[in-house]
Amino acid sequence: MDALTAEQERLVETAIAPVRRTSRRFWLVVAVLLAIIAWGGYAYFTQLRDGLVVTGMRDRISWGLYIATFVFFIGISHAGTLISAILRVSNARWRTPVTRMAEFVTVVALVCGASFVIIDLGRPDRLLNVVIYGRWQSPIIWDVLAITTYLTASITYLFVPMIPDLALFRDRLAGTTSRWRSGLYRLLAIGWVGSDGQRKSLTGAIGVLMILIIPIAVSVHTVVSWIFGMTLRVPWNSTLFGAFFVAGAIFSGIAILILVMAVLRRAYGLGRYVTDTHFVYLGYLMAAFAAIMLYANISELMTHGYKMEEGVEFHFRQLFLTEFGPYYWFYLLGGQIAPIITMLLPWTRNARGAVVAAVLVTVAMWIERYVIVVSGLRVPLMPYEPAAYAPTWVEWSMLAAGLALFALLITIFTKLFPILAVWEIAEDLEVTEPPAGTVPAPSPAEG
Amino acid sequence: MPEGLRAPDSETRTESSQATVGRRTVLRVIGLGALALGPLPVLSPILNAAAADRSGNQAGGPPAVGPDGRIRQWTMIIDLRLCDGCQSVGAAPRCTAGCIEGHFAPEPMEWIQVFEADLPGGGTQFVPTPCQQCQNPPCVNVCPVGATFSTPEGTVLIDQERCIGCRICMAACPYDRRFFNWGDPPIPEEAGLAEYSAEHQVPAKRGTVMKCDFCPDMARAATLPYCVQSCPHGAIYYGDLEEDLATNGDVVVSASRFLSDNQAYHLKDDLGTRPRVYYIAGHGEAVGRDAYASGRLPTEWPWQPDGDGAIPWTR
Amino acid sequence: MRIDKRRLGGWTARITAAAVMSLVLAGPVGASHVTVRVGVPGTLEVGTVAYIPVALASADGSPLPRTPVTFYLDATFAGVSGEVEVGTAVTDEAGVATLAYRPRVTGHHDIRLEYLLPNQSEPEVATISVDVTGGAQLQVADPGLSIPGLNVGLLMAILTLVWSILFGVAVVLIRIARAGGSPRDAASRPSG
Repeated sequence: MDALTAEQERLVETAIAPVRRTSRRFWLVVAVLLAIIAWGGYAYFTQLRDGLVVTGMRDRISWGLYIATFVFFIGISHAGTLISAILRVSNARWRTPVTRMAEFVTVVALVCGASFVIIDLGRPDRLLNVVIYGRWQSPIIWDVLAITTYLTASITYLFVPMIPDLALFRDRLAGTTSRWRSGLYRLLAIGWVGSDGQRKSLTGAIGVLMILIIPIAVSVHTVVSWIFGMTLRVPWNSTLFGAFFVAGAIFSGIAILILVMAVLRRAYGLGRYVTDTHFVYLGYLMAAFAAIMLYANISELMTHGYKMEEGVEFHFRQLFLTEFGPYYWFYLLGGQIAPIITMLLPWTRNARGAVVAAVLVTVAMWIERYVIVVSGLRVPLMPYEPAAYAPTWVEWSMLAAGLALFALLITIFTKLFPILAVWEIAEDLEVTEPPAGTVPAPSPAEG
Repeated sequence: MPEGLRAPDSETRTESSQATVGRRTVLRVIGLGALALGPLPVLSPILNAAAADRSGNQAGGPPAVGPDGRIRQWTMIIDLRLCDGCQSVGAAPRCTAGCIEGHFAPEPMEWIQVFEADLPGGGTQFVPTPCQQCQNPPCVNVCPVGATFSTPEGTVLIDQERCIGCRICMAACPYDRRFFNWGDPPIPEEAGLAEYSAEHQVPAKRGTVMKCDFCPDMARAATLPYCVQSCPHGAIYYGDLEEDLATNGDVVVSASRFLSDNQAYHLKDDLGTRPRVYYIAGHGEAVGRDAYASGRLPTEWPWQPDGDGAIPWTR
Repeated sequence: MRIDKRRLGGWTARITAAAVMSLVLAGPVGASHVTVRVGVPGTLEVGTVAYIPVALASADGSPLPRTPVTFYLDATFAGVSGEVEVGTAVTDEAGVATLAYRPRVTGHHDIRLEYLLPNQSEPEVATISVDVTGGAQLQVADPGLSIPGLNVGLLMAILTLVWSILFGVAVVLIRIARAGGSPRDAASRPSG
């Protein structure tokens, strides 16, 4: 048993380390992110002062970077759904070290995404009208309902499996950490002592949540796609949008998860638990979803292109040749072909290859959201010259601030909460317990 | 801690500890939750109905009625045989100019906009395009707060006091007929005395949507909309489908006959929006325009005061 | 407007017969001495199409076929007054032209009919008086779509279900919390 206990001890130490010690590098990162967010705050201030005229949006292209980023963030939030829920339901054992990070990403991405819709409003002071006068027939109200439900469910789904780990923190850190922190852990651990009864309740609750959150997550990005799909714009008037967006969401969620994993693994020395195998498995999943996205794109483009209804020719031209050509080709090649090839070739089928592919995918997916929004609105509705749209410094600053907020919230989370799902990994270690006397062999680790 | 996570052994199974939540309890909880949230389907329509008092708060008053007291069903019939883009007048299209002046529409809004469309054999036709006042309006369908709404007269209005500026209505409109106040719109001096209502969109408010409203304030005064009055050739007819009459300021016609006798059509009919604006095909031939004489003068906004601090924007 | 000829034949016969005894409205204006007989089917109703046959006969009583007849109504809309064409018809072999008239306003109206004889340069005019009753709204603005069953109730049902499950999970958490204080469980407190 000694090897196992030693192994478990090392696991606990690794998980607690970020909370015990804070390096100078951490404060530097936080300072930089806060500076970016402050700059974004100034940009938003100019927008509140002067109106949306400070953006590049105008009557013909009335949605732009803000809505694209909103869709992007909501898409990323499906990281948690995939890893925590789908892999949990299918009992994929390798998921355990990454579930916590995935759940972090989900909650933070939802918060960031929701803020971008509010930033896009012309009258944010009238936000409560949505509650007072809300119309059930509106796709935006469906968004509000779905996202609040998903946010609540995700926070619950982040919190509930974290309870035993919070109890661990409470017990291990008692007396060695500041008063408010131990108070926080005591409060959040809700009196967890690990009794059989509590354990049974917890497993039951997790079981219910993991099944519940999958349809909620599917519904969220479906209704987000329907703010486009329920209009009569030529590129948006497609029945495929719901499924397409959900696939895209899970796809970009996996990519972001790989990136977050890579960063946190290096920052906190999690190499023993977040191994190359995890990157490769997630890379496989990413490649699989890239194939699904490719199929969906081909399906959409072929069926429209074969018939060339009114407006489709213009749209294809702007998509493949003129306005958006470079970006759309980057999305197709870098965002869909590249991940597949990365995982097919043996010499890129490793952590580094997966991270590079994930970077490409993340950028490509943001570009894809941007192209969908702007190109959709650019197809002329009446006989006029197509309009042009270019985001201004305000919009770029808000994007940077949104990404910085995303990074900052995750960074803060890692300093407060257990970054690994300790009890789940421990459970996993026990199940794969080697014969007594030998050291359990994890995959080759870094750091 | 990990040793506690093994499967429960026989001793614990017989315990009915307080910590265990049985199936029955879970079902009871779900039932209670459903009961607690049950009133919501009934509550929300009540709240909605109270909030959405159409005839009182949002529109300017009771619906316009005809001589028998039946509600008017406004329509517009635009006879393109008479529209030459005001080429013969030597000015920018007068319908747009009249509308801008009457409503103090901020630049660059053209609530009725004269598009120049290509004809199949070459040449162009001018198509004055107001808000189509659809009977299946995509803008009303998607508005999250009901700021844009259909009236009993069949028109579509916007309540700028309720609009949150999300612009999904602008994405949904297939006719490019909705305009947004991106910055602070210029305010005419007359607006100081005007009280804003959805039927008279003065003063315009920043961060909200505006569009052609079929001049309900003019209709209440039993006169014709600004565009109808301004057209020098009488190309725009304004009418009531209920009383079945329409006029362009000079002649009165039976609306239904006028439409059927001249094979009137809708713009983008296949979209199913069911507009109240009809068109009669032509290219201004009745006022002497040749189809190949293209070009019209650009619209201007002469009413706008200078240097009042408003931040302008382009289309 | 399409008129059912067969039904019209029956109508025409009946009405023409009755018209012999009915008023001969507005005799010949011009020198042609053409007689105009109109059969007005009682009181008309708003929104319902009424078929009003008009029989043209020359002075000697023979019918006038193939004569175009146009019907006008004086109307005012938005302060503009004018005559509105409400129908046209051509007299058939029996000299009867039928107006398909759908009245829109109640009250007493005078429909003016004009016909141009082949040897005349000016049309001749006669008048039909009609009384119209009724008043139900003909066209109701009914925007949007309504699909039975796909309404707020369905949405609320789904939301209620999801949120009550979340509520249930919250209750489970409370139970866990409450169980933590029980001394019985101290024995199974984990090491470390």
